[in-house]
Amino acid sequence: MTFLIQQTMLYAIPLMIVALAGVFAERSGIINLALEGIMIFGAFIGVLFVNLVQQAGIFNAAYEAGNWIALQGFELLAMLVSAIMGAVFSLLLSFASVNLKADQTIGGTALNLMAPALVLFFIRIIASQNTLQMATGNAAGWFMIQKSDFGYGRNEEMGFFGSTFIDRTYLATYVCILLFIILSVLLYKTRFGLRLRSCGENPQAADSLGINVYKMRYAGTTISGALAGMGGFVYALTTANCSANGDVAGFGFLALAVMIFGNWKPLNIAGASLLFGLFKCVAAAYTSIDINGDGVFLLAELGISAHFYRLLPYLITLVVLAFTSKRSRAPKAEGIPYDKGQR
Amino acid sequence: MKKLVALLLALTMVLGLAACGNGETTTSEDPATSASQTGETETPESEDPATGEITDPDSIEDDMLADDGVYQIGFVTDVGALKDKSFNQGTYDGVKLYAANNGLSYKYYQPANGDAATDDDRYNAMVAAVEGGAQVVVCAGYLQEAAIRRAAIAYPDVPFIFIDGYPIQEEATEYDADGNALPNDSPILENVAGISFQEEQAGYLAGYAAVMDGFISLGFSGGGGGENAACNRFGYGYLQGINAAAAEKDITVDVNFSWQYGANFQASTDLQTMISGWYANGTEIVFACGGSMFQSINSAASGYDGYVIGVDVDQSGESDLVITSAMKGLSDAVQWALGHVYDDTFDTIGGTGTSLGVNDNAVGLPTSDEAWRFETFSVEDYEALYQQMVDGTLVVDADYNNQATTEWTNLVLHEI
Repeated sequence: MTFLIQQTMLYAIPLMIVALAGVFAERSGIINLALEGIMIFGAFIGVLFVNLVQQAGIFNAAYEAGNWIALQGFELLAMLVSAIMGAVFSLLLSFASVNLKADQTIGGTALNLMAPALVLFFIRIIASQNTLQMATGNAAGWFMIQKSDFGYGRNEEMGFFGSTFIDRTYLATYVCILLFIILSVLLYKTRFGLRLRSCGENPQAADSLGINVYKMRYAGTTISGALAGMGGFVYALTTANCSANGDVAGFGFLALAVMIFGNWKPLNIAGASLLFGLFKCVAAAYTSIDINGDGVFLLAELGISAHFYRLLPYLITLVVLAFTSKRSRAPKAEGIPYDKGQR
Repeated sequence: MKKLVALLLALTMVLGLAACGNGETTTSEDPATSASQTGETETPESEDPATGEITDPDSIEDDMLADDGVYQIGFVTDVGALKDKSFNQGTYDGVKLYAANNGLSYKYYQPANGDAATDDDRYNAMVAAVEGGAQVVVCAGYLQEAAIRRAAIAYPDVPFIFIDGYPIQEEATEYDADGNALPNDSPILENVAGISFQEEQAGYLAGYAAVMDGFISLGFSGGGGGENAACNRFGYGYLQGINAAAAEKDITVDVNFSWQYGANFQASTDLQTMISGWYANGTEIVFACGGSMFQSINSAASGYDGYVIGVDVDQSGESDLVITSAMKGLSDAVQWALGHVYDDTFDTIGGTGTSLGVNDNAVGLPTSDEAWRFETFSVEDYEALYQQMVDGTLVVDADYNNQATTEWTNLVLHEI
């Protein structure tokens, strides 16, 4: 059970935060199809940062001394850097769609095409191969919070709560959850959030009340870029052993699906990503999931083909989307470049 | 005016993007640049070939720059990364060491399209090597068979060294509907030297040692999806070793055995999750049998207090969790074969398959102090076992097709 919860969180959290990134852009009226591209870029920047800092030896002493708090700080720094660069990367989209009034779908697709190519190009220059890894060690060794950090021995148990939510977790996961809550409140309970959402529904009306629609759309897309960039790095850190190879396994597109499936509402998105994360985890580890702890691996004993389990997360997404998309209500003005003269 | 501002903004953004990546490059989004796998940026070599024998391959540049643009030894990689700290890297180390110690130039070529490389991509990489002046081409991995056949016929004067390989005939062997090989009497290509290893012996040693050291729940995660002969031999030998040691201790051990998520020898999220699941459910040690897969397995082990057995080369330097490594002497074998090329004795190995095992000291476990991390199983025990293999008193079955029908006496095999 502990294993299932932990692995589900590892898959679900990046998805959740990137889907929220999509919400911010779309609520402000910009369709951000570039989530995948920004994630790829953010993952690359974060891993590059970790790699360079490791080479510079800044945190090596802390690692040697087992100073896990300093390493958590390092992790947060890397997240921050990838968020900033993700925001910068997303400026390309906001510039194209706000200032140039270009088709947002095409702009986003262009970024999606560009990001993997650009990232691979740099990775091959830096590492002369297709994968950029940490300079030393592995992600779990450097960044994972483990019970030994709290003085527990190899065979000592932390109890259910401890072993599920503290042992073998990443701080990044909790930072993402916290950010998710804060930003959801920001979007629904503050003046800024209201204005942002109004720009996605009826920008002409918003403008007539003195809201700068261009600024709001820039803000929405930039927040979106920062979250997606960070989400990309969190994905790379927690599930891909902190390596970047110009690919995030389609998580950006999945996040789009999760966003639609969650009807552009944070709470629904959180549920949707947990559902997807659960099935993704089941797909990879169904042979070692022991739900009630009786030593019987039920899913493995059913004798269903492994391919079926691997299909499940996508199948579920398809089915749920097919049933829920009818009810889904996208922000009204999304995808339409704002033109002051238009009525 | 507005347009001017917009233009300036666009320019700053493009420049800003360039600055964030790499100072020297501009952001030319030419897909060919990133897709081309062979276009290498060369860095000047800081090597002085006159200073004695070089033994540390890491001190030799991966990218060397020949003054005349001719690269005498070409290396075509297998799937996976060049610096996989395993198969590709071990083979390339041999190329680099031989070249550096003999004043030769060398270059590596990665077939285009990465893991999805086709025979055409591999062939093109070999052609690029030969056109780049290669006097000998080292090709790593059994996947290259078809491409080597084409290249060896196209360039009959260039010797090809086929690592993890076998002699190649001019025509590919055809199979009937039942998968039985049809007779093939086409001539053997004399300019291809196949070099393979008796991986089952290395796997046996690793499995035996692990059980003797007290591990009772083990795992095997292999690359190549069960199609790679070398990995299959590793896996089969590993099981035999485990079974023998368990029988000797009169215990029964659990073994998880999987080819999943390893088809392209890459690290992956799914692999990490699967192996984490194993560790979470009591598996103590997993044999990471496949190049970059090590990254995922090591990461899972690190999170779940597990241990790892490395493959191909001594991987103890990668992580403290690597108890031992089932090694094969890739680097030595490459240097040995290259030696034959430059001694003009290539005809003694060309057209034949050389299988290297314990008798050639080509497989085994690392026994240096820092790499030996067993607690109860000692180096002396290991050497005694090794000697039995050399004597022939202990024979490890190499035919992995027997694995499916073997009745294991002292292990419970969970095939996943």
